[in-house]
Amino acid sequence: MSGRAKSISLRQRRRKEALVGYLFVAPAFLGFLIFYLLPTLRAVEISLTDWNLMRASKFVGLGNYATLLSDANFWHSAKVTFAYVVYNIPLQTVLGLLLAVLSDRLARAVWLRAIIIAPYLISNVVAALVWMMMLDPILGLVNAFLTFFGVGPQGFLASPDQAMVSVAAISTWRHTGLTALLFYAGLQAIPAHLYEAAKLEGAGEWTIFRRITLPLLRPVLAFVVVTSLIGSFQVFDVVAVATAGGPSNSTRVILWYIYENAFKFNKMGYASAISVVLFVTLILITLLQMRVLRADQSDLD
Amino acid sequence: MRRNLTGVLAAATALTTLASSFARAEEVTINYAMWDANQAPVYRQCADKFEAENPGIKINIKQDSWDNYWTTLSTSFVAGTAPDVFVNHLSRFPEFLANGVMDDLTDRIAADKVDMKAYLAGLAESWNKDDRQYGLPKDWDTIALIYNKKMVADAGISEEELRNLTWNPKDGGSLEKIVARLSVDQNGKHGNEAGFDKSRVAVYGWATNTVDGYGQTQWSFLAVSDGFKPIDKPWGKQYGYDSPALADTLTWIRDLALKKGYALSQEQTGRLNATAIFAAGKAAIVPDGSWNISSYRDTSKAEFGFAPLPQGPEGRRSMFNGLSDSIWSGSQHKDEAWKWVKYLGGSDCQTIVGKSGVVFPARPEAAKAAEEAHKAKGLDVSAFVQLATPETTFPFPISDRASEISAILTTAIENVLLGKGDPAAILKEANDQANGML
Amino acid sequence: MKKLTPQAVLGYPVLALFVFISLLPLWMALKIGLTYPNDVYTSASSLLPSAYTPGNFLRVMGLPSTIELSAFRAAPIDFMLALRNSVIYTALTVAGQIFFSALAGYAFARMNFPGRNKLFFAFLAATMIPSVVLFIPNFVLIKQLGLLNSFAGLVAPTILMTPFAVFFLRQFFLSAPKELDEAARLEGASQFQIFWRIALPIQKGPIATLAILLSINSWNEFFWPFLVGRDPGVRVMAVALSDFMSQTGRGNPDWSGLMAAIMLSILPVIAMLIIFGRQIVESLQTSGLK
Repeated sequence: MSGRAKSISLRQRRRKEALVGYLFVAPAFLGFLIFYLLPTLRAVEISLTDWNLMRASKFVGLGNYATLLSDANFWHSAKVTFAYVVYNIPLQTVLGLLLAVLSDRLARAVWLRAIIIAPYLISNVVAALVWMMMLDPILGLVNAFLTFFGVGPQGFLASPDQAMVSVAAISTWRHTGLTALLFYAGLQAIPAHLYEAAKLEGAGEWTIFRRITLPLLRPVLAFVVVTSLIGSFQVFDVVAVATAGGPSNSTRVILWYIYENAFKFNKMGYASAISVVLFVTLILITLLQMRVLRADQSDLD
Repeated sequence: MRRNLTGVLAAATALTTLASSFARAEEVTINYAMWDANQAPVYRQCADKFEAENPGIKINIKQDSWDNYWTTLSTSFVAGTAPDVFVNHLSRFPEFLANGVMDDLTDRIAADKVDMKAYLAGLAESWNKDDRQYGLPKDWDTIALIYNKKMVADAGISEEELRNLTWNPKDGGSLEKIVARLSVDQNGKHGNEAGFDKSRVAVYGWATNTVDGYGQTQWSFLAVSDGFKPIDKPWGKQYGYDSPALADTLTWIRDLALKKGYALSQEQTGRLNATAIFAAGKAAIVPDGSWNISSYRDTSKAEFGFAPLPQGPEGRRSMFNGLSDSIWSGSQHKDEAWKWVKYLGGSDCQTIVGKSGVVFPARPEAAKAAEEAHKAKGLDVSAFVQLATPETTFPFPISDRASEISAILTTAIENVLLGKGDPAAILKEANDQANGML
Repeated sequence: MKKLTPQAVLGYPVLALFVFISLLPLWMALKIGLTYPNDVYTSASSLLPSAYTPGNFLRVMGLPSTIELSAFRAAPIDFMLALRNSVIYTALTVAGQIFFSALAGYAFARMNFPGRNKLFFAFLAATMIPSVVLFIPNFVLIKQLGLLNSFAGLVAPTILMTPFAVFFLRQFFLSAPKELDEAARLEGASQFQIFWRIALPIQKGPIATLAILLSINSWNEFFWPFLVGRDPGVRVMAVALSDFMSQTGRGNPDWSGLMAAIMLSILPVIAMLIIFGRQIVESLQTSGLK
């Protein structure tokens, strides 16, 4: 009898706990459902239509995807975005690593890291505006500097050949500090005795870096590369403010092209199709990278 | 029974009328959107007068930059929060018509007997499609050359010469000779002298706004004066950007900057506009639109004057563009909105606008007031006014899907002027793409 | 006394260069903000203004200033309004997101209910959904709800949760000691009381870290507010500055006004960095470590 009563009360308690659990999760679940799960499905749905938000939407099947395959502008934007990633990621990662190693070795003061992180704390918009001023052909300091050294003024953001590099450089300026900080934290986690042991064995700086530092930094490296890669494929802010996709389409990155289609040309369906393609690409890249970099295990074990 | 129903209906109607007259007693705010920051204060003056004459209606002017204006406007049409009245541009007319966002004004015009002949010829017509009128003419604009008086005098060029410039795409006519003389390198050598260093130019003879696909202030006047026809007809289906006249013109413009160094290249122009370049003393002559007259007055420290566009093989040609005021089809206060539009198109407001000189109003008497206002301040703007005739102008090219086509054409023109390939081939490709959309 | 190793000889100048490049643009922005609008183009190559004026700072804040610009040049930015909007936007998203994500993170870490792990895995998978695929449907939804140009529309997608916040907080609830919870339960406290009075206060540190990370993101967010919050009444600073640029930016930017506005807009950030430098640096450092 008493055992049964106990099990009933246990079951009641369980049920009550479950109920409270659901209540606790409910608001977040609502947010997840309405702003993550359903929109992902809705994006696919919209991508199958021809819709400008003002006229009734028309089902076109895979028409938008077919258009996309032969849309030179889409491929151009994919190429430009890829170029941005190629400029941005290695530069940012290498500079971040250099900065992290230097401050780990030479200057561990917090104020130094606080200065280095400053660019990251201001928005992309501000970074873009400030660098537009710095790179301006007439009032910019950079061109004044170049002229002083006998190099003629450069177009930078106004030159189709230099605009994408300039945008990437602005992003690198803003993000290198954060990258460095993450690496710095990773470096701190490496036990000092490993270095000492290596030094005793007479290993040089470069060997230590390659054999100890780099392998042990792998999880942080994976995190940095994956997040900045995903961010880079969705670059928008600097382009929107500084170049608006120009000059002559040289910075018409994918997200800008999606934005143009959705809000300038009012082609919601086509814009959604591009976003779905980018979505799938990003997921694939993430999975691939996680595997290649074996993010979840460092060689510390 | 039937009588009863009629009675109820009558009572209901009476009630509704009563209710709406109550509603009318409350204040109605009409939102009016425009993109030109110069004009907003002037239209505020109109609004103040209008509010005084129409108690119960308040006008709220919302101004947004050209870049943002159209995106914000389309979003607000979609969101149902659009301004009751908005300044409309011909390039958007087809798109807006297809989306049904403009109110048809035809019946209101007829009912209130608005005289559409009171506007400069051609302006009202351009806002008419299939005998329905979608906007009342607001203003018009033409293009002229703005020159730096001191630089011109220093180069020994008379104003007489400037008024009679000729141009052709082969040797550039007298325009090219003058632009060469006005270009000065950092050693003080002029463009027409031996040893002119085109890589270190201090002052360019010629500069324009950043180019776009229509070239209103940058190249269209040259190309059309050589026989280029942007589009077969208003609301046309055939763009003519594959014309040799356009390729020749753009090649000349490209070489003027890249080969000869007499003009500021697109790359160096960047996002700067002609006003800024001129004010910075970087260029001696810039072509620009009449809506910018007051900007030059406000920003240029140097003395300047206006000269008519050069005479091309087929004469002088300026793009002629007219804006209108349109009512949003989703407005909750269409009667009040119409009152405001009628006032904007009327003689009172247009004369206020004319006297301020920010723009040439659509009514000839108001445009005259603008001309006189400028004259009173020592500016002779006849270079703009004299071209406002049907023979010396061509309309802004309009077609469906204008925003997409404009993006395509802009890229093509940019590529040509940056020297990224054969002009004819680039233009042909863009033209085919544009026509393929129609 | 440290010996000057070759690494140090090479390293210190490189570090100094990093610091210089990090700060130079901000210094130049300050310089141009302090320059008279007419002098902006004439003193491009100098690191110091030829003549100082606080006028630009005053005029962008809407205070009386000696600098008179014609209607054409008077760029409209309601700085104080944009500041207010940014504060509201950031406060709402950060507070809401942390509270609701903490509730969920706590439940995922500490409570048993059928489907818990599946649900958590779904949340985890959502961290992989890039915002690029979400913005069009979310825009359409906000539009259909009539929430365009409202704070509700601005904060809606992030106020209830982000997968990252839930994940982050769950980790900390998992590793917190359970004894206190149990003791409170025996005393008859409700689950919410336990969460609010005991579990949450223990996590002060991680929550502060999360708050710092989220505040940086919200304060700097541009894309979503750019799409749904263009009305001056709700326009946040990043969007207002970008609009300020394009307002006169068709070739003739009001550089001195713009740079003054920028310096004012990053003033709170700089102040935070000076006061909470260590916490900010440490929060960002941990964001990469799981």
